[in-house]
Amino acid sequence: MADAGNEKKPLVSGFLMSTQLMELDGCTRCQECMKWCPTFDVRQDRPEITPMYKIAKFRELLGSQYGLRAKLFGSKPLNEDEINKFSEDTYYCTTCGVCGTVCESGINTVELWEAMRPNLVARGNGPYGKQSFFPGLLGKDRNPFQAKQEERLCWVPKDATVLESSEIAYFAGCTAAYRQQALAVASVRLMNNLDIPFCMLGEDEWCCSSALVRTGQRPIMKEHAVHNVDALKDRGVKTVLYACAGCLRTATVDWPRWYEGYIPYKNVPLSVYLREKVRSGEVEWKRPLNFKVTYHDPCHNGRHLMHINGRDWAYEAPRDILKSIPGVQFEDMARSREFQRCCGAGGGVKAGIPDLALDCAKARMGDAQLVAADIIASTCPFCRRNIMDGRAAMPEKSDIKVVDVVELMTAAMGLDITIPENSYSKFQEQDVIVCDEEVCKVETVERKAEGKDLVGEAH
Amino acid sequence: MAFYTLGLTFWLVIALTVVVLGFWIYGLYFNFKKWGMGSTGYQDELRHSFWLFIATWIHEAFKDGIWVFVKTLILDVLLLRRTLRRSPVRWVMHMTIFYGFLTLAALSGLGLFMDIIEHFNVLGLAHQAEMVKGYMELPFDIFGYLLLLGATIGVLRRVFLREVRSRTSAYDVVLLGGVFLITITGFYAEWLRGNSFLIGDAFANPIYAPHFSLLHTILALLLFVAILPYSKYMHVIAAPLTILANRGGE
Repeated sequence: MADAGNEKKPLVSGFLMSTQLMELDGCTRCQECMKWCPTFDVRQDRPEITPMYKIAKFRELLGSQYGLRAKLFGSKPLNEDEINKFSEDTYYCTTCGVCGTVCESGINTVELWEAMRPNLVARGNGPYGKQSFFPGLLGKDRNPFQAKQEERLCWVPKDATVLESSEIAYFAGCTAAYRQQALAVASVRLMNNLDIPFCMLGEDEWCCSSALVRTGQRPIMKEHAVHNVDALKDRGVKTVLYACAGCLRTATVDWPRWYEGYIPYKNVPLSVYLREKVRSGEVEWKRPLNFKVTYHDPCHNGRHLMHINGRDWAYEAPRDILKSIPGVQFEDMARSREFQRCCGAGGGVKAGIPDLALDCAKARMGDAQLVAADIIASTCPFCRRNIMDGRAAMPEKSDIKVVDVVELMTAAMGLDITIPENSYSKFQEQDVIVCDEEVCKVETVERKAEGKDLVGEAH
Repeated sequence: MAFYTLGLTFWLVIALTVVVLGFWIYGLYFNFKKWGMGSTGYQDELRHSFWLFIATWIHEAFKDGIWVFVKTLILDVLLLRRTLRRSPVRWVMHMTIFYGFLTLAALSGLGLFMDIIEHFNVLGLAHQAEMVKGYMELPFDIFGYLLLLGATIGVLRRVFLREVRSRTSAYDVVLLGGVFLITITGFYAEWLRGNSFLIGDAFANPIYAPHFSLLHTILALLLFVAILPYSKYMHVIAAPLTILANRGGE
């Protein structure tokens, strides 16, 4: 946590909208959020990390400075230990948003936490742990892996077709470009096979900066948002496809807040676009995938976007694809769609509080074990990475694999998803589908070198 | 007029009511101004303004159009749809307390108005005002029982559900305790008066009845109206405004 030697600093609340300050008084303290909170579920001894307690604490802090008693008799001196504790509690949250979904008062909790954190950062009480590396990494390298921007497309197979400009763009995201290239290769192969002409930004693709928004470190955000939007506009793009839920959320919700101009393209989850291809009969399945598959809804594509894109895009598109793959036996976990349990990685938790992220991931693995799944499919490389880490940290070995929907689809279509050797091959760490003529299996590729990952992925 | 007893005259009670209402209105203004310390939009500058809070709220509440506002008002504010989805028991509790209190507060206001007409014989309508007060007894009883049901569920939930009890703070107790106390004294005052709904004359006591009626009125003024803007009661106003500002929430 940041240095606490700022006893005379006032409480900062200006990053909250006035209606968000009102929300603090709107909490009925029904405790419903506590039943669903994924971090409280694995930290039962810390109720203060739950929404109800955090709201109460911030309301109390505000009251001590600006309440009626403060007005009549002067404000109480702020206790730095208390504020640091509150800051820690605020960062013990993946900003998954399930509390907002179940909130009786309709409090938009994701926005509330994301607006609370910049106040703590401005005051010097945030961010938390390694989250403080994000601005430096993104400001310097434009990605969180200290990787070279000019190598963004080093994984593209030589025989693949990626255009310089097109009406459709594929925004791969940092994780697929540098750490989970199987997903990037699968996406490109699929689109080529379906004759979808598309371009990529290459070295002009900068990190979406999700981690900055989630952790309350906003300043560099604008540079990245403006750069990416302009780069897409320069290429004449009308539709941007995302196979990363975090990038999709940030591009849809956050970039427009920072971009002062007209944005002429629409953001579409790759799964939605591909489902249309399945429905129109353009997809030709070549081999069955005989697995029991369950689907993990990424928070960023689900709860964060369902009120913008609708439930069908948020929840049903990936499920429809999975159900259409021959051989796949699909079953949802008990907690799914808007009530899904967060994998534990979001909101900067993976970087700031990795043990908490792992415990949440183990809980999610437990959900998948209950339906006896062979594969957890998802549409978020970051969820995938954290669930795989959770699996590795489980006391008993689990054979459940974690694969992206796009990769499952590619395998069932019989496409070659071999990743060309590149500078980042040794850093690859993912479950990959390996097929012979008829049968596919999923293997785990272990990382062969440590790399310079200071913060893991960044959402 | 037997109601005004224990040295509290009609004028004293009216004066107390005016003071309490003034304190209430100032409290609302104070809270709105406090909320106005926030910004008017993402990354917008701060202006610390009561009016800009109002403007921001209107902007947010009507962002998706009037139809969404009306739908949210009916389904989520008046029918508490979000609560029903999560817990039917809490829904019954909230609905009965909400409509019980709201109606009783409105009836009390009307009762006070009738008292004033009766006291000053405004337009010679003293007798009619007394008759109106008589007609109000049944709705007072019905909504009183509704409120009692809700308050009882609330208290039982906080007392008997271990997890709920362990997370209950003074902030909750002031609200629920206040509601329960006001309700119970209201009923006792009613029962003491005799010829009451369902109870008849079982508790009738014409000597103490006026004392309790007045006690109930004072408690309602002090434990509900006066402290509403400064306690958890504020959620009665902030929660509906939140739901409307967020167009029904997620």
